Amino acid sequence: MDSLSHLIDGFGIALQPINVGLAFAGVGIGTFVGMLPGIGPINAIAILIPVTFASGMGAASALILLVGIYYGSQYGNSISTILLNVPGTASSVVTAIDGYAMTKDGRGGPALAMSAIASFVGGTLSIFGLVLFAPVLAGWAIRFGPAEYFALMIFAFSALSSFAGGSLLRALASTGFGLWLAAVGLDPNSAIPRYTFGQIQLLDGMDFVVVTIGLFAVSEVFQLLEDTEGGRSVAASYGRVAVTMKEFTSCGWTMLRGSVLGFLVGVLPGAGGTIASFLSYSTEERFAGRTSRFGRGDIRGVAAPEAANNAAANGAMIPLLTLGVPGSGTTAVLLGALLGLGVTPGPLLLQEEPDLFWGLAASMYVGNAFLLLLNLPLVGVFIKALRVPRWVLIPSVAALAFVAVYAVNGSAFDLVLMTMFGVFGYLMRKFDFPLAPVVLGLVLGPLMEKNLRRAMALSGGEIGVLFDSPIALTLWGLAAASLLAPTLVRRLTTDLVEEAPAAEED
Amino acid sequence: MTTDRIAGSVLVVAGTLTGLEATTFDVAFMTDPVGPKALPFLVAVMLLVAGVRTIARPRSEVALPPRPVALRMGAAALAFLGYAAILPWIGFFLATTLVVAALAMLYRGPVGGSLAAGMALAGTLWLLFVRILALPLPVGDLWIR
Repeated sequence: MDSLSHLIDGFGIALQPINVGLAFAGVGIGTFVGMLPGIGPINAIAILIPVTFASGMGAASALILLVGIYYGSQYGNSISTILLNVPGTASSVVTAIDGYAMTKDGRGGPALAMSAIASFVGGTLSIFGLVLFAPVLAGWAIRFGPAEYFALMIFAFSALSSFAGGSLLRALASTGFGLWLAAVGLDPNSAIPRYTFGQIQLLDGMDFVVVTIGLFAVSEVFQLLEDTEGGRSVAASYGRVAVTMKEFTSCGWTMLRGSVLGFLVGVLPGAGGTIASFLSYSTEERFAGRTSRFGRGDIRGVAAPEAANNAAANGAMIPLLTLGVPGSGTTAVLLGALLGLGVTPGPLLLQEEPDLFWGLAASMYVGNAFLLLLNLPLVGVFIKALRVPRWVLIPSVAALAFVAVYAVNGSAFDLVLMTMFGVFGYLMRKFDFPLAPVVLGLVLGPLMEKNLRRAMALSGGEIGVLFDSPIALTLWGLAAASLLAPTLVRRLTTDLVEEAPAAEED
Repeated sequence: MTTDRIAGSVLVVAGTLTGLEATTFDVAFMTDPVGPKALPFLVAVMLLVAGVRTIARPRSEVALPPRPVALRMGAAALAFLGYAAILPWIGFFLATTLVVAALAMLYRGPVGGSLAAGMALAGTLWLLFVRILALPLPVGDLWIR
């Protein structure tokens, strides 16, 4: 059990007071932004990245904080989903079906408690998966050359485009926009400026923090102006936040199945928590049979998606850390943060930065323990935060976004860029172009171009090298298959999609 | 129909411009067989394909926001740009107070409450970032002279 001894070493890092504090801060912020519709983990992480850079904290500590926001948001997203029928993020959309039905029945408390417990089960079980499978995948990926990496990135783009749910064509346009943003600035090989419009500030390229905050946070500020009447919402009474032993045992297998399924789906690039929760819910619905109360307030309908989306969030850390390939907008932002901290994720990460990987894995146990505390006895504190009126909340988010964007380069020019991306992001939302592929394109674009050029330089310009190895061919095959997969998945989940309210992607 | 065709046309124009600009990325000697043009050309093709298909098969009309809402959005965007313009000049505290108050009022907050929220937020952020995290924020050239 090599992994186990490494993990124990990891606890030595995760239990340092500063890292315990950062894990707590991360999961607290995560619960908060996961709960509030309109902020989301991607904004919170993007806003905090310049802060972690500026404060000079170590890469492990910074990652413990940022990843804490990421998995913490998977807990918080169910709070507003269950109480208000307003999903915090897309991965809790199915939780709304039975969760909100339970609230209308006056059983909101048990639904909240079950959601926290299922999140904990899914979260902690999937960390096991992470520490078991990450070294395996890393050992396998060590044979990847530039051609394989290029194919892998194509797979990441096609998977995210097809699993995002909307039209492939629009995802193609979004990915193209992201890759264009990646091209802006000096070309690293030939030192030729590309698409800089004569602006010196653009020679360094587009900063992903500025782009992400503009596209997601600022566009949200515009979007929410469409509905200024709403905002302050009063949660129904929810009773005691606890479950009975009977309710807990009835969900035992549901949570286990949801965790495994969620983890496996999470490892696939592009799929993530939303698909995991849909699949887990429809599986349990089938297991429960026709006599169940699924859809009308069955507690298993809360446990299944919540276990799955937490497991999926942790599963998605595997390709991010061992391959350096993120599968969603949020993990793409995490990749950007890692690169900014001087860490190159990939198969060598586990050997070169064991403290970072094992410290992070151990801290996820610490964070999940905190999350159980925050989401069971202290959930009332968060519910109070739902009563903050929108005219205070949204301008506060905007101000935080300004500070973060300004902190990137200390330049007001970035604030202008941010506003432009905000308008762009709003129009893209309006016309149903997905935003996550833009961030993925921007972060992965330079790596994709570098690997393509390296592969071609090694082969002397022979394009066949891209399809030369079995691994590369497999990855091309997976990329093609992922484009066909949504048709199948959609057939499985059509009925659910129609029932569930809309939410932003995470 | 029309709105989607406009979106498609924007993509076509963007793709064309991207491709045309890419033809100027000439290097004196190639350090690698691919060169700096490949990625931009790929982008141009992606945008053109998406644009042409969107024009050919447009979706139903996109519901654009009604005039008063659009005006408020425009005002918010102007407030952001104004913030970028005055931030180095009048400094973080005053600029942030003003922009937060303006935004809060666009969200139909009461005037007094909006100003109070702006001041409280600007003060808190100043303390947090400058005092605790030692992140420099502009004091304002106006006050330094």
